[in-house]
Amino acid sequence: MIQTDLWPQVQRLARRAERPSRYLGSEWGATRTTDADFSFCMAYPDTYELGQPNQAVRILVNAVAAMEGVAAERAFLPAPDMADAMRDAGVPAFSLESCAPLREFDVVGITLPHELAATNVLELLDLAQIPLRAADRAVDDPIVIGGGPCAMNPEPYAPFFDAISVGEGEESVPELVAAVWAGRAAGESRQQILRRLAQVQSTYVLSLYRVLDADEAQRQSSWVVPLEEGVPPVIVRRVFEGFAESDAWEPCVVPFAEAVHDRLNVEVLRGCARGCRFCQAGMMYRPVRERSVDNIVSAVLRGLDETGYDEVSLTSLSTTDHSQIEEILTRLNRACAGRGVRVSVPSQRLDSFGVQMAELVAGQKKGGLTFAPEAGTQRLRDIINKNVSEEDLFCAIDAAMAAGWRRVKLYFMVGLPGETDDDVKGIASLAQRAYDRMKAATPPDQRGSLAMTVSVALFVPKAQTPFQWDGQISREEALRRVGLLKRSVKYRAVRVSYHDPQTSFVEAVMSRGGRACADLVQAAWEAGARFDAWTELFNEEAWRTAADKVGLVPETIAEATYDTDYVMPWAHISAGVTQEFLAEERQRAQEGLTTQDCTFDACTVCGVCMQTGTRNQLAAPRSMPEGGRERHG
Amino acid sequence: MADPRLFRLRVRYAKSGRLALLSHLEVARSLERAVRRAGLPFAVTNGFSPHMRIAFGAALPVGVGGIDEFFDLYLTDYVAPEKALAALAAVSPADLMPHGAAYVEPTAPAASVACPLSAYRVTFDGPIGRALVVPEQVEVVRKKKRKVLAVDDFLVGDIRACEDGCAVEFTLEAKPTGSLRPDVLVEAMVVKTEAGASSGKEQAAGAGGDMRADASAHEATCAPLPAVRSIVRISQK
Repeated sequence: MIQTDLWPQVQRLARRAERPSRYLGSEWGATRTTDADFSFCMAYPDTYELGQPNQAVRILVNAVAAMEGVAAERAFLPAPDMADAMRDAGVPAFSLESCAPLREFDVVGITLPHELAATNVLELLDLAQIPLRAADRAVDDPIVIGGGPCAMNPEPYAPFFDAISVGEGEESVPELVAAVWAGRAAGESRQQILRRLAQVQSTYVLSLYRVLDADEAQRQSSWVVPLEEGVPPVIVRRVFEGFAESDAWEPCVVPFAEAVHDRLNVEVLRGCARGCRFCQAGMMYRPVRERSVDNIVSAVLRGLDETGYDEVSLTSLSTTDHSQIEEILTRLNRACAGRGVRVSVPSQRLDSFGVQMAELVAGQKKGGLTFAPEAGTQRLRDIINKNVSEEDLFCAIDAAMAAGWRRVKLYFMVGLPGETDDDVKGIASLAQRAYDRMKAATPPDQRGSLAMTVSVALFVPKAQTPFQWDGQISREEALRRVGLLKRSVKYRAVRVSYHDPQTSFVEAVMSRGGRACADLVQAAWEAGARFDAWTELFNEEAWRTAADKVGLVPETIAEATYDTDYVMPWAHISAGVTQEFLAEERQRAQEGLTTQDCTFDACTVCGVCMQTGTRNQLAAPRSMPEGGRERHG
Repeated sequence: MADPRLFRLRVRYAKSGRLALLSHLEVARSLERAVRRAGLPFAVTNGFSPHMRIAFGAALPVGVGGIDEFFDLYLTDYVAPEKALAALAAVSPADLMPHGAAYVEPTAPAASVACPLSAYRVTFDGPIGRALVVPEQVEVVRKKKRKVLAVDDFLVGDIRACEDGCAVEFTLEAKPTGSLRPDVLVEAMVVKTEAGASSGKEQAAGAGGDMRADASAHEATCAPLPAVRSIVRISQK
């Protein structure tokens, strides 16, 4: 039960800290339940300004707070300066609402937003004075539950959590909290409580499984097997079926500190069925569920009134794919006129319709437009199932220039399966021809302000995608290909920037690693790794030292390529999309065949609807605008 | 300059409690959001990125509170001041609470320069027990550049003891060329006072060291000053 108020100690440290506003709590919209019988803290393994805008934190705190008698609070990892000061002073990690030690909560949830947050999970647990490994926790330590995108392969995190919730948590997290409460109320042991959790749909309780060695895993088609009756051999992702119907206004906290995406976010749809073969999000948020125009417009207006934000973003994986996006934006434009409110639509789709939608809300100020062709040639775009053509891109550029944009950013990946040097040079060629197109579509006297950036990232194979069996290219090879790209770009106006392959390498290791990777994470953290996602804090040496210490060759984990009959370490987790579908998609990739999007076309039998008992829910039938996406396999 | 169709409402508020740790930018953003939540008919600028017409008084540093801060809000419609105040109070965090609202002349000086004189109260955890020594100059780092400020250019009058010797008050004047932060002056006075009381030990403790960190250096001659509990701007004019 939470009882200690650490504020007096925290205040002394916060005064001296960089950005004290990270640690204050008491923001507008934050709620504190003082007479609760049970407590839950949702923690984000990075600093406040990165974690506060996170949708999982917002949704799950609200979901648990709605339970009678339960206090739901938030916690974030203090920045390095504060973390060090807290350790020196013996002040443990705390929640924001009550400024209570994390270790006093009954249940602590930690979301795993991306692969580079692993060492931060340990940093947070250690700072919270909670034993790092679930096996070492005592009866009154919190039950620590993980979840989020990295639950698609939870093995590198597994020993640090009592349970991992796979999939969407709107319903499952309150169920888990209720189960712990019931167990605690009955005076049960930790193990008995964990057995209760295993009965909550889509929950992976590590201690109830036996880990197999590599040979046995291949024979048994899984790296872990249940130790007892009633424990599911495969954990299928939870889908919140009521999403489309549920209120799009999700109450939120308005931070004092300037957060990333510091604006009202309204989730307009969930899921994307375009089927890009490298994309984990595209596989793990199916089926596609659209909220209605009325639901969205009402949520935006109420949200603006209640938060005081001057910007709203309509979020999803592909907002411009919403069947009624034009009506939504037109209505919002009228409703927000004269209020100094900006409406933004992230990630335009790559065609002139996407640009028209961006233009609807852009107002007079035109920053840059970003498009993601992902690959430089049609051959490789077909392999990855990115169903856009050069013509789509060029039409999008024509429309963007006509509407007044002058800056364009193009995203690509290098190291995609099947990539050749011609594909790398193809990126340069495509970018230059796109730039020619920009020039041609811009009046001569305005051409001086044209700018194009080509941003390149290294392909990271992700669990539960058709490319999960494909290895990452080595860092040396990645640098060679980036070098080739840079030499191939002859235009001075086209700037090439690329992401450090070093961190992409750690991402691949964490994305594909098995249980043994947990030791690697712990050794890396012990050697000083934390905040790996912060370029200036990434500690390569720590990861090196850790690999030597635990005797792992991380290159093997990141770079090995397997046949589709090889059983990967996450075979006991299912995103709903079947392994057969993933294997089939990889086969089609190798044959250069594309696969359609089932929200525009026929069902592709990915398996999600069957396995999760759901279906696509569209607000209206989707239709392709003129000239868009005629290429199908 | 002044748009005759607009109404200039000056709202007074306190920055207190834990929100004293907010930066000026964070306070400004928070107040602007409160105005929107209150549903007041604020004016919006014309131009490429339209935003609320609001102007803030002189900035307070992180960690310094204020009991009578203010901002000017331009309204497109007249709203009775007490109604505007009630609407704002209903949607403001307790530690950033407005307590007054009145219309001011559209031609009055800008909020940021309207009140160059600021009086501060510094409260310590216990009695100070001696007069604070004011350094002649204070070194500050601004945008990675070192700058030496002469305290006399900014300090108006004396350092006045109050609250049974547990607090002091002083007044600083903001100059068009810059100003001296009250927390920087307090820190410099504390260092100077503690060093002055144990000047013999200063060399022994090592030049440039943080005098307050090395408590043992002071024990023979004088106990260190009690910790600073709060710095608050108590008035501006």
